[in-house]
Amino acid sequence: MPICPACRYRARSWRDIAIHLYDFANIKSEARHVMWLNRNLSYKSLDLEILSFRLEEFFSMPEGLASWIRKRFIERFYGDKPHPFIIAMQNPTRGVLLGYVLEHQHFLKNWVQVLSSIVFRTDKDDVINYELENIAVEYIGYKGMPSHYELLIRMGESLGLSREKILSTPPLPSTLSSIKKWKRIAETRDWIETMAAMHSLELVADRTLTKYGAKMHYFNPEILNSDKYPKEVKDFLREGYEADVGHAGEALRLVEKYGKDKAEDIQVTVLESFDAFAKYLTARLERGLEFEPELIKVIGQ
Amino acid sequence: MKIVVNGKPAGTKETGCAICGATWGEYYAEVDGEKLFFCCDICAAEFINMINEVKKRAGWERVDEIEINGNYYAGRTCVAKHEGKEFKFYIRFGDEGEITTFKVLS
Repeated sequence: MPICPACRYRARSWRDIAIHLYDFANIKSEARHVMWLNRNLSYKSLDLEILSFRLEEFFSMPEGLASWIRKRFIERFYGDKPHPFIIAMQNPTRGVLLGYVLEHQHFLKNWVQVLSSIVFRTDKDDVINYELENIAVEYIGYKGMPSHYELLIRMGESLGLSREKILSTPPLPSTLSSIKKWKRIAETRDWIETMAAMHSLELVADRTLTKYGAKMHYFNPEILNSDKYPKEVKDFLREGYEADVGHAGEALRLVEKYGKDKAEDIQVTVLESFDAFAKYLTARLERGLEFEPELIKVIGQ
Repeated sequence: MKIVVNGKPAGTKETGCAICGATWGEYYAEVDGEKLFFCCDICAAEFINMINEVKKRAGWERVDEIEINGNYYAGRTCVAKHEGKEFKFYIRFGDEGEITTFKVLS
């Protein structure tokens, strides 16, 4: 059933949702509705007929939910104007990587807390197994390998920050705001929506995205064979690069399997998560400014 | 006040919101005695907070002109002008339009 992507008002048709959105955005200037339109459909106001058409087209899923999520992710982060952090990762400097370390430690802690809520609330064995393995890989360590969290800290140490300094640095306001958004999703939405909201973000490091239209990879793969970077940097990047292909693909398969009856709810929640992620990725660059003020040129691109 | 958002004039219903350039909505706020168009109250709060911060830091009575480049997630790189003087800065806002980051640029 179509729902308003800003406030979750439910209606029988996308045209009714368009009428509702038009009223709240154009007549009442209600911020949530205006912001959703600005971020997802158009900065320019549209007449009702065009809005109705564009809205239905935006949410249509001719190739299924997983394909829709992938398509929207590519548009948002890898489209004509890739996210500045992804541009910076094509040739990452010390400042970019330290910004990554200092903010991502908080993201990863929150990540496993939110995944734990999925484990608690689902009754599907394959989902429980999937999430527990992901928690182990990300935070505990798996099959004799250090966790991504540990590899992240080691990357920071190899770039000159002590473990104590890394662990005692609080998140920037933008990181905190995004973390709160993901926590709120976990606390208020169904487990399948939470699962889609989180694991769709792993698409960021999915090497196969270029097959679907992404303009670049998460980082230039030549980094992994370069002498310019410490071994710990390459170890961290390689782990994410190799793991997230499987992670995102398998998670989206599970979302498709169990989410058929809640497709519109999942779409709306995934878009909220993308907003939080875009804001959070900028926070990594913003933290990098403390080490490298000239990064402002990258942010301002 | 002359306002340019991502390379285009802004600040009226026809040209778009004074901080993001959107033409949705119908929200007006007075800034330095001038009625400006915004798409919503959050954008108005962001703009007013930004102008007040510039005036405070630069020691100006008013801002004559401002160029804004960026968006909600990447933050905004701006140049404010007054009586031939320039003040460059990077700014980000929180969910209620409050300033969370303000960096003066050289």
